[in-house]
Amino acid sequence: MSKKREKEPDLKGTLYSVGFLGIFILVTWFMAFYLFIDRF
Amino acid sequence: MTTIAEKTKDLVRVDKRDGKLALAHIYVAFIALAIGGLCGLLQTLVRSGTFTLPWGIGYYQILTIHGVLLGLILTTYFIFGFQIAVVSRTSGTLTDKQRLLGWIGFWTMTIGTTASSIMILLNEASVLYTFYAPLQAHWIFYAGLALVIVGTWIGGAGLISKYVEWRKANPGQPSPLLTFMVVVNLAMWIICSLGVAVEVLFQLLPWSLGWVDKVDVLLSRTLFWYFGHPLVYFWLLPAYMVWYAIIPKIIGGKIFSDSLARLSFMLFLLFSIPVGFHHQLTEPGISSFWKFLQVVLTLMVVIPSLLTAFSMFATFEIRGRALGGKGVLGWFKELPWGDARFFAPFVGMVAFIPAGAGGIINASHQMNQLIHNTIWVTGHFHLTVATTVLLTFFGAAYWLIPHLTGRVFTKQMNRLAIIQTIVWAFGMSIMSGAMHIVGLFGAPRRSDFSTYGGSAQATEWIPYQIAQAVGGTILFIGIVLILYIVANLIWFAPKGETEFPVAEVSEHAEKTPMALENWKIWLTICIALILFAYTVPVIEIIQNAPPGSIGYKLW
Ligand code: HEM
Ligand SMILES: [Cu+2]
Repeated sequence: MSKKREKEPDLKGTLYSVGFLGIFILVTWFMAFYLFIDRF
Repeated sequence: MTTIAEKTKDLVRVDKRDGKLALAHIYVAFIALAIGGLCGLLQTLVRSGTFTLPWGIGYYQILTIHGVLLGLILTTYFIFGFQIAVVSRTSGTLTDKQRLLGWIGFWTMTIGTTASSIMILLNEASVLYTFYAPLQAHWIFYAGLALVIVGTWIGGAGLISKYVEWRKANPGQPSPLLTFMVVVNLAMWIICSLGVAVEVLFQLLPWSLGWVDKVDVLLSRTLFWYFGHPLVYFWLLPAYMVWYAIIPKIIGGKIFSDSLARLSFMLFLLFSIPVGFHHQLTEPGISSFWKFLQVVLTLMVVIPSLLTAFSMFATFEIRGRALGGKGVLGWFKELPWGDARFFAPFVGMVAFIPAGAGGIINASHQMNQLIHNTIWVTGHFHLTVATTVLLTFFGAAYWLIPHLTGRVFTKQMNRLAIIQTIVWAFGMSIMSGAMHIVGLFGAPRRSDFSTYGGSAQATEWIPYQIAQAVGGTILFIGIVLILYIVANLIWFAPKGETEFPVAEVSEHAEKTPMALENWKIWLTICIALILFAYTVPVIEIIQNAPPGSIGYKLW
C-alpha cells in the first residue's frame, strides 16, 4: 500500500535473529547426525 | 484519528452468553490440568526409584490419565473455549443456533470424557493416550473418546457457520484474521479426526466389544498417526493465533503482515496432514519410499515455521525501535517484560527454538532410530505442547478469563504470573533437558522404574531420572501457581473491565489477496496431497496384511 520506499522499517535485528535460528537448527541437526553415523 | 474508533473497539466485549460457553470449556481444561499435573509429578517420582504408588495403582494407569487429560482433554477444551471467544469477538455474537451447537458439542465431549475417565480409573483402560492395538481397553473407553471427537465436530460446526455467515454478509472482503485462523484450524481438525474416528468405529470398537476377535495393528496405527500429527498442529495453531494477532496489540504494535499470517496458516493446513508416517519410521510394513515422501512433506513445515519466526521478530523489532531501541538488538530491551500477557507467551516462543530443532531431528527418516521410543521424545513434546503451547495459553488466560468473568488481572496476580512463567521454564529446562540427554543414552519412554536386572547401562540413567523428579517437582509448583491465579481470575479478582486485545494490521502491510480465502483451491490441494501420500501405502498395508491380533490386557 505505501509507496514511500524511505519508510521501510529497519529489520536488521530480525535478520540476525532468524540467521541465528537457522544456524542453531543446523548445528544441532549435524550433532545428531554424527551421533547417528557413529552408532549405526 | 484512531483514538475514538480504537477506544470503542478495545472495549468490544464478548457477549455474556458466548462467554459462558467459552468459560465452561476453560473450566474443564484447568480441572484436567490439576489432575493430570499431579499424575505427572507422581510419574517422575516413581521413575526416580524412590517412590512406589500406593493402593495397587499401576504406573501405566497414571500415565494414561496424564496423557489423556493433558494431551487430549486440556488442550482440546482450552482450544475450543479460546476459539469460541475469538470468533465471537472478531465476527460478532453467535446466533442462538450456533451457540446451541456449542453447548451440544460441549456436553457430548464432556459425557465422553467422563466415560473414558471412569474406565481408566477402574483400571480397565491403561492403554496410554495413543491407545495402540493390540493393547485392548474396555469398549466404553473407546466410545468415550469417539464422543469427544463427535462433540468437537458439533461445536466446530457452530463456529464455521459463523464464518460462513460473515462472508455472506461482507462479500469480497477478507474475513477477520482471527476467525479465519480458527476456521483453518477447524478444517485441519475435522479432516484429520476422520482418521481416528474410522479407527475407533471400524476397528477398535467392534474388536473390544468382541464382535470380531482380531485387529489389523498396522492399519490402526496408521489411522492413528494420520490423526496424531495434525493433532499437534491443532494444539500449536491457537498459540500462533495469539502470537500473530494478539501479542502485537499487547506490546503496543501492529500485525506485521495479514497476508503472511494467512499464508502460513494455509501452509500448515497443507503440510500437517499427509505426514503421519514420520511417527512410524521404524514400522515394518510401510515401504521406505512412502516414508521418505512423507518425511519430505514433513520438512515443508519448516517454511511456515520460519515465516512465523520472522514475523514475530519483525513485530518485536519494529515496536522496540518505535520505543527508542537503538543498534542491532537494542529494541529487545524495550519490550514489556513486566507484562505476563507478553512474557509467558514469549518464553513459550523461546522454548520453541530447541523444540523445533529437536522435531527436525525426530523427523529425519533414518535418524529417527537415534531417539525412537526413548525418553528424548517425551522431553521434546514437553517443550512443544507443555511449554510453548501451554505458556501461550496461560498468557491468554490472563486476559481472556477476566474478560469473560468481568474481573481484572491485578498487579499482584501479574507478578505471580511472571513468577509462574519462570518456575515453569526452570523446572521444564531441568526435566526436559534430562530427558533429552538420557534419551540419547537409550533410556526408554513409557516405562515404570526398573533396574533391568542390574544392567550397567540402566544404572547410568538413574541420576537423570532423579533430575527429572527434581524438575517435575518444580513444575508441579508451577501447576499450583497457575491454578491459584486462574481461581483468582474466576472467583476472587476485583470486578471490572478487561480488554480483549486484538491487533490491527500495520499500515505498511500489503492488501490481503482474496485467493488466500478461496477454500476450493486450498482444500483441493490439501486433499490431493493426502491422497497422494496415503493411497498407495494404505492399499499395500491392507493387501499385505498379516493375520490380525487378538487383544491383550498386560496391566
Ligand atoms: C507437572 C508437570 C509435568 C510433569 C512432571 C510431567 C511428567 C511426565 C513424564 C515423566 C512423562 C513420561 C513418562 C513415561 O514415558 O514413562 C510424561 C508423559 C507425557 N506428558 Fe507430561 N508432565 C507434565 C506436564 C505435562 C503437560 C502440561 C502436558 C500436556 C499439555 C503433558 C503431556 C504429556 C504426554 C502427552 C505424555 C505422554 C504419555 C505417554 O507416553 O503415553 N505433560 N509427562
Ligand atoms: Cu508428528
